[in-house]
Amino acid sequence: MFLTPEVLAIFILNAVFALFASIAFFLSVRIYLKWNMNSSSASQYELEKQSFLGATIIKYILITKTALFLFFIFTLDKISNVITGAMCAAGVVDATQTGASLIVLKILNIYLFALWLKLHAQDLSDKQQPYTRMKFGFFIPLFFLFAAEVILETVMFSSIEIDKMVSCCGSIYSSTSTSVISSLFLLDTSVLVALFYGSYLLIVLFYFVKNRYIFSFLNFLFIPISLISLILFFGTYIYELPSHHCPFCFLQSDYYYVGYLVYTLLFLGTFHGISVSFSKERERSYKASLLFNSLYVILLSMYVVVYYMKNGVFL
Amino acid sequence: MIKLKDVVKEYTANNADTVTALKKISLEIKEGEFVVLRGASGSGKSTVLSLIAALSKPTSGEVEVDGDKISKLADNFASEYRRHNIGFVFQKYNLISTLSVKENIILPLVPMNLSQKEIEERLLRVLKMFHIEHKANQLVKNLSGGEQQRVAIARANINNPKIILADEPTANLDEKLSLHLIEMLKELKAEGKTIVVATHDPLFFGLSFADKEIELHHGSML
Repeated sequence: MFLTPEVLAIFILNAVFALFASIAFFLSVRIYLKWNMNSSSASQYELEKQSFLGATIIKYILITKTALFLFFIFTLDKISNVITGAMCAAGVVDATQTGASLIVLKILNIYLFALWLKLHAQDLSDKQQPYTRMKFGFFIPLFFLFAAEVILETVMFSSIEIDKMVSCCGSIYSSTSTSVISSLFLLDTSVLVALFYGSYLLIVLFYFVKNRYIFSFLNFLFIPISLISLILFFGTYIYELPSHHCPFCFLQSDYYYVGYLVYTLLFLGTFHGISVSFSKERERSYKASLLFNSLYVILLSMYVVVYYMKNGVFL
Repeated sequence: MIKLKDVVKEYTANNADTVTALKKISLEIKEGEFVVLRGASGSGKSTVLSLIAALSKPTSGEVEVDGDKISKLADNFASEYRRHNIGFVFQKYNLISTLSVKENIILPLVPMNLSQKEIEERLLRVLKMFHIEHKANQLVKNLSGGEQQRVAIARANINNPKIILADEPTANLDEKLSLHLIEMLKELKAEGKTIVVATHDPLFFGLSFADKEIELHHGSML
């Protein structure tokens, strides 16, 4: 067991969240099974009161959990200093068998939690509360994903051995890596860059065409394309090193914590884009998606442009 | 139109003692009607008012206002409904003693984001209507009971509500001031407002302009 104040904070928060999420889970099952907005029975009024309680609990857990993702990454980065061989969060993720699965699950959960919050906001904006049953039904599988995240997080921090040698990010994110990551390096960078800008331009195009389903799908597609481009191409310009591809190092102070901004912009842009397919305030989601995605693309492109202006060559 | 359908309201104290304030009440109040709810303390009069105002929800049954099921409204919509449709007159006035008459009156307009001009126009209208223009800048704590009640009625009317709910409005007034208040309520009815008064003051019984008198006894209609 490896405990630092940050890890302890995560454990304590997870215990509190688990308690309240369990209450919300039982309320959700009950509401999902018995909800009937047209009824004026005593049990329906009771459910309406409980739905207010349940939704409030879920809302605050999911908002905090979403924001805590950045704190989780910060914690991994901080504890990398004491793990032999680790240079950044990548080493800590690699230090246990559950690290990589946990990161993937956390990213999936962030999007799902945000979708729940969006659905909740839409439900509250309508007098008839048309999405109440749906949002509590949606929380039922979400609860299990949340529970899996808490369990994996606990297992991960419990199984870190600080004196066991781990790989540094330089070897994990390279073509010689033994993991699935090495296969990424088989991709042609110029094709990948073309895909990156191409998918962004399609997002811009469908912003004007206003086909919400295609716009939503393009944003969904933009997530893996962006992440892979970041690892294979843009990251090297942030580090100004052609051989360094780590997606975690730029979260450190040496790079002015720019990673937090990069990932936040990508999340906000793609989330708003995906939510266009069911959002009531569609125009707002369209605009937010275009704004954050554009800022993301401009920010990454600036690193390439500035590098070229300073050195006269591309990496 | 206000409609209560099979409304039951129970209050639970300490998770044990349940008090049934209303027992399957059904009633209808048409637009522009003046209705007096009679009954002793604890008969359920104030509960009826709080349900019409969407301040509380029934245990079962429905409350409808102009076709909207207000008993099903979420808190944010209930507040909006009250802001635009309901004016309250309370027994103890519920004025803020450290504010002036005009500051008290315009309080319900604070969340409505109106222009200063609109606020002043509305203020002037109610100050004139209830003859308190000359007291506009005085602190309410320096006013007499009758004047305070006029300020309370002016406040209830500042958002030009369709419905005025008055809960024992004459309980702290002498007979002369009570009659004056009844006159003011009559004028409001003449303006087309629906008025529901919960009272056990005999001055309200048998009023010629009242459309309905409903007597409540231990949560049931007589």
